[in-house]
Amino acid sequence: MKIKPLIGALAFGAMLAAGQAQALTVYTAGPAGLIKQLADDFKKQTGVSVDVFQADTGKVMARLEAEASNPKADVVISASWDSALDLHKRGWLLAYASPNAAKVPAEYKGPSYVAQGLSALAIAWNTKSGTPRPTDWADLAKPEFKGLVNMPDPAQSGTALELLSGLQSARGADAWRLFADLKRNDMAIAGANAQAMNPVLQGAKAAVFGAVDYVALGNQAKGESIEVIFPASGTVIAGRPMMILKSSRQQQDAKRFIDFVLSDAGQARVAATYLIPARQDVQAKRPVIKDIKSLPVENEAQRAGRQALLERFTTLFGRK
Amino acid sequence: MRANTLLVGAAVSALGILVAMPLGFVLLQAVFPELAQGSLARPLAHLAGVLADPKLVELTINTLKLGACVVLAAAAIGIPLGTLRGLFDLPGAKLWDVLMLVPFMIPPYISALGWIMLLQPRGYLQQLLGIHAGPALFSFGGVVFVMTLNVVPVVYFAVSRTMAASGSRLALVGRVCGGGAWRCFWRITLPLALPGIAASLLLVFAMAIEEYGTPAALAANAGFFVLVTGIERRFSEWPIDLPGASVLSLILVALAMLAFVWQRRMLTGKGYETTTGKPARGETLPLGAWRWPAAALFAAIVAVATFAPLFAIAATAFSRTLSGGLAIGNLSLTHFQAIAAGGSEASGALATSLMLGAGAAIVTGLTGVLVAYCVVKTRTRGRAVLDALAVLPNTMPGVVVGVGLILAWNQAFWPATPYNTWGILLLAYCCLLLPYPVRYAHAALMQIGDNLEAAARVHGAGTVTALARILLPLLAPSLVAAMLLVFAVASRELVASLLLAPTGVQTVSLFIWRQFEQGSVGQGMAMSLVTVALTTTVMLLATLWLERRQARGV
Repeated sequence: MKIKPLIGALAFGAMLAAGQAQALTVYTAGPAGLIKQLADDFKKQTGVSVDVFQADTGKVMARLEAEASNPKADVVISASWDSALDLHKRGWLLAYASPNAAKVPAEYKGPSYVAQGLSALAIAWNTKSGTPRPTDWADLAKPEFKGLVNMPDPAQSGTALELLSGLQSARGADAWRLFADLKRNDMAIAGANAQAMNPVLQGAKAAVFGAVDYVALGNQAKGESIEVIFPASGTVIAGRPMMILKSSRQQQDAKRFIDFVLSDAGQARVAATYLIPARQDVQAKRPVIKDIKSLPVENEAQRAGRQALLERFTTLFGRK
Repeated sequence: MRANTLLVGAAVSALGILVAMPLGFVLLQAVFPELAQGSLARPLAHLAGVLADPKLVELTINTLKLGACVVLAAAAIGIPLGTLRGLFDLPGAKLWDVLMLVPFMIPPYISALGWIMLLQPRGYLQQLLGIHAGPALFSFGGVVFVMTLNVVPVVYFAVSRTMAASGSRLALVGRVCGGGAWRCFWRITLPLALPGIAASLLLVFAMAIEEYGTPAALAANAGFFVLVTGIERRFSEWPIDLPGASVLSLILVALAMLAFVWQRRMLTGKGYETTTGKPARGETLPLGAWRWPAAALFAAIVAVATFAPLFAIAATAFSRTLSGGLAIGNLSLTHFQAIAAGGSEASGALATSLMLGAGAAIVTGLTGVLVAYCVVKTRTRGRAVLDALAVLPNTMPGVVVGVGLILAWNQAFWPATPYNTWGILLLAYCCLLLPYPVRYAHAALMQIGDNLEAAARVHGAGTVTALARILLPLLAPSLVAAMLLVFAVASRELVASLLLAPTGVQTVSLFIWRQFEQGSVGQGMAMSLVTVALTTTVMLLATLWLERRQARGV
């Protein structure tokens, strides 16, 4: 008798679910405003409505994983390139080359995934912090920055892991000397990207080592005293992969959605959030690939070593 | 007798759907690593790897240490305050109740962030007074401090309500028989309030070992990690490790079970009946010269627990930029304007959260009474199992309940499923919060004499009539308090919502979290402030309405 309302709620919920069967389902990590605009524009253009699930990459992947026996998503947009490679390897992804992907650089697309946009890992520096303006990673290991640097946790931030891995692949042992110096300089490992940034905004810390640049550029545009610095010795430019699940029952609409995000209109929306558009011929609101010194793109063997790399890094910084 | 069977059946089914299903699937996932892919292959293949991890012992010990310290600290603050409020004629009693409620309306991750912005170097405290408490905050002690302030209301309300219910009447008898005031308190009043105190401390322990945001934000840099951070890590670190996370979750659940068993053992075999049907409205005792020191104590606690984090939240919400700091020129309403401009989105999120909170309060309230009644007042076999099942979810981190619910409800064989509708969020909140009404109702029922129900039976009332006319009205004060807590917590729950939110549904916590993710701390804090104000108002109105009803004797 007491569970009647519950059963009623369940039945009602099921009805709602049935009514939404026609919409395209997109799981996404990344700028909230962006996916909303893309969904609205796409609906205007095609009449297909888009249901969005938005969280951080970890939650998106955990949901995909838990749903594996009965997948719900048609399109997935992740902030971590590794997740695309891994899903591809597992055979979960639909091969698709969008005609609009022609102008996306080869290293930011694959047989079943393509970048929505790109972001560079940078130093975000508080200009009022009273510290000298850093120009390269190594500056953050100097005494002036003792105890004043934050880094997003590579275990929680896919982009921070890309940076870690990129630095090691490009510099080998030198990279580990840098990390050891940073550790000696009391660099703090601070959760995901937002948690690393907030103390820098308030001034408790002076700089973020490996900030996701578009968020910092957005903060700067809002009037925060923050500067985004692309290190002189080079950094990693990380792609945010879009992919279609093989299990999708709306593969045609899913392909149209990918095409749309890579269209002029879609890429303009991407650019408006301070990301680098995936298509090199679209105007950006910020420095683009050719303006930033980037580290060489990693090959598969280098990527494969990431688990061990993460282990070594977390041990160095005493994380559990 | 038949009615009793029906009630027990209903309690079992409710617990089955709300708790056993998600927990069961987590257990299955811990046994069968490929469960999520729909396969039962290689059972326990991963177990050796997970359990051999040397970090496991450390994580477990840290978790226990944190839980124990928070319980001790919350008891040290909550029991004296609750006693003062429950037994004595305290100046401004109602006001303190309201203010003690507020820390509970502030989501723990927001209050942790608030404390960081207040106390870290160049934080608000330094901007105002030139001092900061960075090293103390980012430490084990800092985590205990912040968590304790968040959970003290649980102890305070439980203690003050049970003390008020058991009243000063029996203690007065003790005084008449020649006992001194302190002696009567230690020997009569305090022991009689034990069920309420023990129940609330068990909840606090469970909340402390389950909470993710505060240890993650404050203690990670001090090298202090707990099971929940380990679980979260396995869920967010690529590749996702569902089986490993499930095993860690079961360890956490086992810890809470131990606490539960201990609490039961402490209370069994003793009588706590104080509500006997005789006129009971005990007068509160005068405090005399201690009136103002007592009020000052309340003011001091409230200033730290309620106003300090609220100040940090408000300061951030009203600042144009965070780097601008506390300055007149930096004062701005932009963040509130942005929320208002996003109108439909923000108000839609608010409406969704308030409705889900109310729904969760009603479902858990009904289920809670039912389960507590079956456990305390019937002689059903397996009562202890029902009772244990009802307290378990409080130890399951939101992310675990989330995964359990996906595994349970996203199976192809269900003809209809709440998954991917708001129904799944309701299930999640009900599962996570069921322990509050069950614990509160349980403690209250233990104080109600069996002869009251028997008297009703003698006069011809059936089980249902006796329950509805005698027990429910007597239970109402504690139950309503518990349901209000459920409402408050459900309307701001974050972690399970993050994982389970149906496509297209927005809740307040998701809205706030997205603002933070986008680097808009100010906007997130503005939304938090609006939500805290709104939920507090709703709860105040509900309480006032109920008091008026009771005053009219309805």
